[in-house]
Parts: sequence; structure tokens; C-alpha cells
Amino acid sequence: MTWAAFQDAAANGIIAVAVFCFIVVFLRNMIGLAQLLIANWVFVTRIEPSEGARELWQRYADLAMPITVIAPAYNEELSIVESVKALLALEYPEHEVIVVNDGSKDDTLGQLLRAFELEKCDRRQIAELQQTKIRGAYTSRRFPNLLVIDKENGRKADAANAGLGFARTPLVCVIDADSIIEPDGLLRAAEPFMHDDGRLVAVGGAIRVVNGCTIKGGSLQEIGVAKGLVPRFQVVEYLRAFLTARVANAHTNTLMLISGAFGLFRRSTLVEIGGYRHDTVGEDLELVVRLHRHLREQKRDYRFAFVPDIVCWTEAPSALKGLDNQRARWQQGSLETLQRHRRMIFNPRYGRVGMLAMPHIVLEDVLGPPAELFGYIVIPAAALLGLLDPMMAVAFFFVSVVFGSALSVGTLILEEQQLRRTPSARDLLRIGWAALIENFGYRQINLWYRLQGVLRFLRKDSTWAAVPRAGFNAG
Amino acid sequence: MTLSLTFYDTVISGSAWMAIAVVAIFLLLVLRRYIAERRIAANKKIDAAITRSYLRRVAGHRPEGDEKGWTFRRRLAAVSQVQALLRGGERDRLMQIAELDGLLSATVRRSHSWRRSERVSAIRMLQRFGSESCIARLREMLARDRSQRVKVEAAFALAAAHALPPPRETMRILRMTARAPSKLDVALLRASAPDYPDQLALLLEDDLSPVWRAQVIDSLGWSGNVSVIALLEKAACHDHAEVRSAAMRASAKLGHPGGRDFVRSALHDPDATVRTQAVNACSALGLKEAVDDIRNLLEDPELWVRLRAEQALETLGFASGQAALNAYGSSSRSYA
Repeated sequence: MTWAAFQDAAANGIIAVAVFCFIVVFLRNMIGLAQLLIANWVFVTRIEPSEGARELWQRYADLAMPITVIAPAYNEELSIVESVKALLALEYPEHEVIVVNDGSKDDTLGQLLRAFELEKCDRRQIAELQQTKIRGAYTSRRFPNLLVIDKENGRKADAANAGLGFARTPLVCVIDADSIIEPDGLLRAAEPFMHDDGRLVAVGGAIRVVNGCTIKGGSLQEIGVAKGLVPRFQVVEYLRAFLTARVANAHTNTLMLISGAFGLFRRSTLVEIGGYRHDTVGEDLELVVRLHRHLREQKRDYRFAFVPDIVCWTEAPSALKGLDNQRARWQQGSLETLQRHRRMIFNPRYGRVGMLAMPHIVLEDVLGPPAELFGYIVIPAAALLGLLDPMMAVAFFFVSVVFGSALSVGTLILEEQQLRRTPSARDLLRIGWAALIENFGYRQINLWYRLQGVLRFLRKDSTWAAVPRAGFNAG
Repeated sequence: MTLSLTFYDTVISGSAWMAIAVVAIFLLLVLRRYIAERRIAANKKIDAAITRSYLRRVAGHRPEGDEKGWTFRRRLAAVSQVQALLRGGERDRLMQIAELDGLLSATVRRSHSWRRSERVSAIRMLQRFGSESCIARLREMLARDRSQRVKVEAAFALAAAHALPPPRETMRILRMTARAPSKLDVALLRASAPDYPDQLALLLEDDLSPVWRAQVIDSLGWSGNVSVIALLEKAACHDHAEVRSAAMRASAKLGHPGGRDFVRSALHDPDATVRTQAVNACSALGLKEAVDDIRNLLEDPELWVRLRAEQALETLGFASGQAALNAYGSSSRSYA
């Protein structure tokens, strides 16, 4: 090959990469716009739960399907008592709380034993889904709807499976022990089951970032907005994920993720598929994808629902240190899920899940991050070298950064018009500012973290680093 | 080249215009919020004045306050708040005054809105007014609204006002039998049971699917009418397990000793769900004479039957310590 031929091939290669990056980023944002429009339509046409229906619901409380709230806890000695009290106080006709102490190294179990006057019991496990040993089960005479399971450490999926095995109710709600559930969060999440004709399998709910809020006794006292930029950026991300993407996906019956921080499932279906998988770091995504796969393969008519009202608050990493691990883990988890269920991708046997939802995950999680990150480098470089029209570089900047900002601010409009849970105009402005500037630096840093996740996936790294928490009320 | 330039230009200008429009709308919303925050105190004052005025008028006093800024929406909110606090004659007078103020006609207008959510809001308000004309409008919406969801909401409003049409009509209008029953359908049938036990009994003569027959049987338990025991006894021998289970649930709810024989027989039913419901019914009816049969069910091959048997024995006061501990913390209801 001559030098000129090599130069030509290299130039063509660079042009191909640049065009590919542009197309991927353009497609991602067009899908984001479509999701925003669908979510807007859903919000505008939605009917809030009626008081009349609620009155009857209360009169015939036995129609409210009992729920077991499963809270896996690992080294939560500082907050576990308050969290469990808040869970026990949730508004719902009938619910049981199962706290699974996942081999904590601190005094999580001791705190529970003392605070709730627990006594050992021999409650039987109906389904053994965990891989580690159960050390004991405890009940409280003061709180008959509390059950504490003590087991060897096995990570969240294993702890949730252990709790699932002890649950006896038709619905289970799997949460993080440090999730703050809205007092009527269970009622609202169970609402779709009122209208259900037996097809509904699971319900997800909107989750918001709790950083900056005031928490007392394990309950949200006052909504606030964190002072730091990193949590504020995450407020915008959560709004975008929960108010647009999930709402739109649920509307098109392609909901592929129900967050690990709050998810309501039919117990029997979860047990049927063996509960959460232990060998992935993205167990929540994997679970929903596997549910889709299982139900489609069984040719069962089913549906997933999403409640756009906020049902749960969760603490987000307050600094980049911590965020890096979380984002890399999410990326790794989604690649693991895609690899495990790759036969669903573009497979008409799985209907719109196979033809639309799975390819969308590929676009978002496999092609998206590297395409955008390389695009920032390759496209301007190609334009400078005269290989591409400089307008393409400008268009790439606009489509990724300016359009991205517009989508974020569009989500804030949706929130303000429909939910209005941002405390004040000042806070709204602060979040709006974060939505504008997150595309200048934060977004790119996130892409970098996600590439780290790709590397972890390629290395088959199974280590799990806990996300450092600043604690509630840390601001 | 021209084409590509056009495309890139479109992308750039499209993104820019969209961003500008979105930011402008957002800033307007921030401004609206800011103004609303500034007006909180003044608005509270107006709301309090409207509420006070209505309370005075209900008590027969002269209205007071400057009615400037008393919009329909504010008045409706105030009436809605006050009516929840009043009872009997005072409540009726409040709703009459609200009607005289034209709030009812505004609500009726809303009930014709093209937006489904607006019509549902109107239904809630009509339910609160509760007058004959409101009930008539709710019936009209139940029968003729184009949205199934709105029809269901109207049915709930009528049920809350004890004004549901006979169950056959409700089922026909809501096209219930064409689909699987939801919890809301069950609630509606139960709501009609005290007013229409005979009509529900007549429905059983129809060619209903077992699933719907079961729901009708279930609702008979909420009728409070002991004459339905014979129907429940017949249902307890039905071929379909779901119907037999419903007969157990209804007997438990009715709480009449007339059902004890067929409930006890159902403890030996070949279907586990029926056995589970029979155990629950024994527990609800306090059938201590069934304790031996229930004890036998502690060895039942079906886990849920064993669990409910343990709980029932505990409720009946015959639980061993072991069984009580095993059943501890679980519900007394059937999840099967």
C-alpha cells in the first residue's frame, strides 16, 4: 500500500467514524425528544386517582392486594431504625416489612433487635432463592407486621431474594433500606392494580434525589435542593429518566427498567423466574428484561406500569468520587444484561421489546457513550484536517449539547406543569441552571465513567464498591 | 454539498430554536411560580374570606367580604373544603347556596369538556354537590360518555351517593362481562349488593362466565341479606372452583351461621384455593366444631392451605405454640 493510499484509507476511516458518531448522537436525541412528547401526552391526558374510587377502596380494603416491603440492609446501623419505623408507618390497608440484614459488619442487627424488641422465630421460607445461609428470623410483638431476616453477606440481589422467599403476600415491593418512601407511596404504586384485569406484573414509580431535603425519623419533612452542583445535575438526570423515558416506555409497553430503589412486583412471577440474578451488578435491569423474556416466551399477555408521581426519594452521590463507581456499575450492568439476553435484540419473537426496546438499550448503552465521546474528538479533528465540512462539527455540538440542554429543560417544564414538587421559584431556577450547564463538562465526565464501565465489563470485573453517602440532611 | 449544508443548517437552527423556545417557556413558568409565591398571603386571605362568607350564609347570616377576585375556581375549592366539614342540613344548605351561586352550572359545563381529566374533575365535584340534578348528570355520563374511564369514575361517584343503577345495567354499560374483572369492577358490584340483592340473584340465572359468576356470588356476601344463603350453598357445589371459592368468601363476609355446613364440607374440597377460602371462612364464622378438620389441613400438600390452617387455629384459640409462631406476622386473608 502506498502512502497516499494509506492516507486515503485513514481519511475515509475518520470520515466513517465521524458520520457514525453524528448519526448515533442524533438518533439518541431524536428518541429523547419523542419520549418527551409522549410523556407530555401521558401527563396531559392522565387521570389522577379519584376520591370516589379511594373511598370504595377503603370500604373494601380486602381488595387492596397485601404488599410485603423487602428492605435489604448492609451496614446501616446509623439509619436502620428510623428507616424501618417509616416503612412500618406507610399508609396501606395491609403491608408487612421484611428487613434483610445482609451480613452487616456493623451493629445493624443489634439496633433492630433492641429498637423493635425482636424475638427469634422459626418462620418458614416459602421459596429458597438466596445462595447464602439464613442465620435467623426475628419478629416483634410490638410490630406484628415486621420480620427481620439475618443472613450471610451476599449482596443486594441475594438479600432481596431471601426476603422474597419469606414473603407471603401477592405483591412485593423491593426497595433500598435507605430509600425514603412517600407516606402514600405504596397506595399510589398499587393504584394500577385496581384497574388491572390480571395482566399487570410490575409497577415502577418516579424516584427523586433526596440530597438537600430535610429528613426526620426516616421520613421526608421538607423538600429542598442540594447546594452542590453534582447532586443538582443528578436531580435533572433523575427527572429526565423518570418523567420522560420511563413514562414514555411504560406508555408503549416497553418499560425495561424498574429501579432497585423502588419496584412493586407480583410475588408469584418473581418466584417463577427465580428472583434476582446474583452474577450481575445491574440486577434491577436484568430482572425486568428477564421478566419480559420469560413472559414473551410463555406467550403470556402481560403489562408493566409506571406511576409518574414521586413514590420514593433516594440519596445520590454528592461528589464525583462515588458517582464514578455508580455510573461505571450501571454501564457494566446494562452490558451484562445485553450480553445475557442478546438473542432478544431485533428478534420479532419478543415483539416490540425485541424490536424496539432492546435495540434502544444497545443505542443508549453500547453505541451511545463511545460515539458521543469520540465524536467530541474525531469530528472537530476531521473538520480541522479538512476531511469534513466544518458545519458538521458545529451541528454535532448543537445536536449533542444544545439539543441535550433543551431536552433537560423540557423535562423541567413537564415537572413544573404537572407535579410541581420543586419547593420554590428560586430552587426551580437553580435546577434550570444545572440543566443548562450539565452539558458542558458533567455530561462528558459521565461518558468517561461509562467507558470505565465498559472496561470493567470487558475485564469481567465483579467487584462491587459501595457508593459513599454523605448522609441525609447533609445538604 | 448544498444538501449536506442544508441538513446541518437545519440541525443547528432547529436545535437553537428549540433550546430558545424551551428556555423561554421555562423562564415564564419560573416567573409564574415567583408571582404565585408573592401572592400566597393575599390568596390565603381571599380563600379564608370566601370560606367565612359561605359559613356565614349557611348559618343564615349576611354574606361578608369584598367579592373581588372570588373566581369560580376559588369558590369551588372553598365549597369543596367546607362541605367536607359539614354534615346533614348544614351541608345540604351549603350545596344549595353553591348551586344558587352558579357553581353547579359551571361544574356541569366542565363535565362536557373535551378533556377527559376535566370531565373526571367535574364528576368529583358533582358527587360532592349530590343533588338530584347532579345524580342525573352523573347517570348521563355513565351511560353516554365516550371514555370508558370516565364512565367508571361516574359509576364510582354514583356508588358513593348510593345511586348506582341496577347491577345488570351497570355491567352492561361498563361492558364488564366482555373483559376480565378488575378490583374496581368487584368494588362496584359489592357497592350495589345492599340495594339490589334480588337483582344480583337474578343475574345468576344468566349465562355468565365462571369468573363473573364468582364475582356476583362474592358481592352477595356484601348484601347483608341472609336470604342469599341458599344461593351461596348452591354456589358452593358449583363445578368451577372459582365460584366455590367466592361462595366461601361471601359466607365469611355475611357471617351468618346458616352457612356453616357447606363451609365445613368445603374443607375437603379437591381444589386448594377452595380449601384455603373455606379455612378463612371457618375462622371468620368462629366455627370451633371445624377445628379437627382444620387441624388435618396442617398436613395439606398445599403450602397456602397449611399456612391459613395455622392462622385459623390461632384465631379460633387452638394454635400450638409452634403453629402460632409459624403463622406469626402473616396476614389473615387469602392470597391464593
